Amino acid sequence: MIEVKELSKRYGGTSAVDGLSFSVGPGRVTGFLGPNGAGKTTTMRVLLGLDAPTSGEALVDGLRYARIRRPMLRVGALLDAGALHGGRSAFDHLLCLARTNGIGARRVAEVLEQVGLAGVARKRAGGFSLGMKQRLGIAAALLGDPGVLLFDEPVNGLDPDGVRWIRELMRSLAAEGRTVLLSSHLMSEMELTADRLVVIGRGRLICDTTVRDLAARFDRGVLVRSPRAAELAEVLTGAGAAVAPDPSGGLAVTGVDVSVIGDLAARHALPIHEATPRSASLEEAYMELTAGSVEHRAHGSAR
Amino acid sequence: MTSVGGVSEGARTVTGVLGAEWVKVRSVRSFSYVLAGAAMSALLMAALAWYSASLYDGLPDGQRAGLSVTSLVSVIGLPLQICFGVFGVLVVTSEYATGTIRSSLVAVPRRWPVLAAKAAVVAAVSLAAGLAAATATFFSTRAIAGERPMGFNEVPLSEGVPELFAAAAAVAAVALAGAGLGAVSRSTAGSVIGVVVLVYVLPIVALNLPEPWSERVSAVLLPGLVGQVSGVLSGTLSHALLSPPQALAVLALYAAVPLGAAALALRCRDA
Repeated sequence: MIEVKELSKRYGGTSAVDGLSFSVGPGRVTGFLGPNGAGKTTTMRVLLGLDAPTSGEALVDGLRYARIRRPMLRVGALLDAGALHGGRSAFDHLLCLARTNGIGARRVAEVLEQVGLAGVARKRAGGFSLGMKQRLGIAAALLGDPGVLLFDEPVNGLDPDGVRWIRELMRSLAAEGRTVLLSSHLMSEMELTADRLVVIGRGRLICDTTVRDLAARFDRGVLVRSPRAAELAEVLTGAGAAVAPDPSGGLAVTGVDVSVIGDLAARHALPIHEATPRSASLEEAYMELTAGSVEHRAHGSAR
Repeated sequence: MTSVGGVSEGARTVTGVLGAEWVKVRSVRSFSYVLAGAAMSALLMAALAWYSASLYDGLPDGQRAGLSVTSLVSVIGLPLQICFGVFGVLVVTSEYATGTIRSSLVAVPRRWPVLAAKAAVVAAVSLAAGLAAATATFFSTRAIAGERPMGFNEVPLSEGVPELFAAAAAVAAVALAGAGLGAVSRSTAGSVIGVVVLVYVLPIVALNLPEPWSERVSAVLLPGLVGQVSGVLSGTLSHALLSPPQALAVLALYAAVPLGAAALALRCRDA
């Protein structure tokens, strides 16, 4: 269980997080989305006690992180997979962390096995590929078998195999009843992995919703073209659909599925030249939600 | 505090964090380089003793009495202090350079045990290695000098032993100062410069001050302190201004002040 309450964090004059509140429950993957610079990493750093909040608080299982004894048994985190000493072996890297929380060397070997790095456990981490570093970072998060897991951009730079591996791992961790918070700036990734979404921009909450609700909210209906548009509109309205003329010509139909439209048209022997479902993709929904809060945008390009 | 198997949670954290820091130190190459540097320094002292001995042998009988070589245990202090000062710096700044400091602090959110464990490991390693290198130098240079009366080998063993401990204590103090500077500045280059200034630059500057300030300042700088701690003066000081306990206390400040500042910085700053 993660609770962020009225959290604000300023660095000098710039506000990174501004009155942010949300909570993340167990048993599902919660996506933490926002454009670069939205405050995702800052929020995670405050949650992990690395940065002190300017005001508000961030709690894990009802506790401030700094008050947790042997925190790795409760919270696992991957912040920056590149944060490794290149000369240290994967095993020693994990052993350093494990020792501080009274975790044994056997558990280190176990998590290395789990993330598929057992074969390179004694190799210097400096020679690892980005994907292997991500796996090592995830192994570190799993060391204490924690109930709460935070992953900051875990799929960055991974190949498709690695992305799928992470996706399945996240889902299985959540299925075991753990709280999983997964940050990303890519909606396409969340669409496949997350159940809930917390979207932020410029340090503020934009929406806290489920993936399904968000998709429904941005449903724009079906564009239908027919040479007998007026008759078709009448039939569709009779079936409970809302029909409006579309600016591009044709009919914008909402409230019924495209298959229903097709069936109705067939039943009334009305020809259809086009029927295009126009539900905005989650990616577009996300772009629209965060349009006002993108920190760095190339001038002259329309997003 | 809960008690598990008779060991309190707090004690377990301390031993765990200490163990972690020891793994960190021994698992990177720079550790072997530093130890190699200490061994090389000891070899260099042996070479100096051998050179002095051959110089002595080459002199006509009448001039031999004029050849007096300064204590090589005090000479080895400089390279050892630099080696382990850099070691102390790296133990801290390598974590900032690589970003591993964040996982270290996430694992130990109270933070101070991380600094304390680093300091303990740095102190233990530099004290042990410093003592080993100084002892090796003491006995090897005496063995090489043999029966030739060359000054440094005429000191009785009872006076030589305190000098060994004083040399090792100075090495540990500089190493801890390095660790403290590293934690405050988070910069390897800056901290190494700080160590070199402390060990090398300041004593030279002090020598060039007008009297009586030259003596007074030299008395609280590292070369002077080592002599005053052991009671065996060499080089920069003609007589002791501080008693051995006073000198040891000043030496301890070299470690305590930077470490105190480090503890404060670690506590107050965002990681």
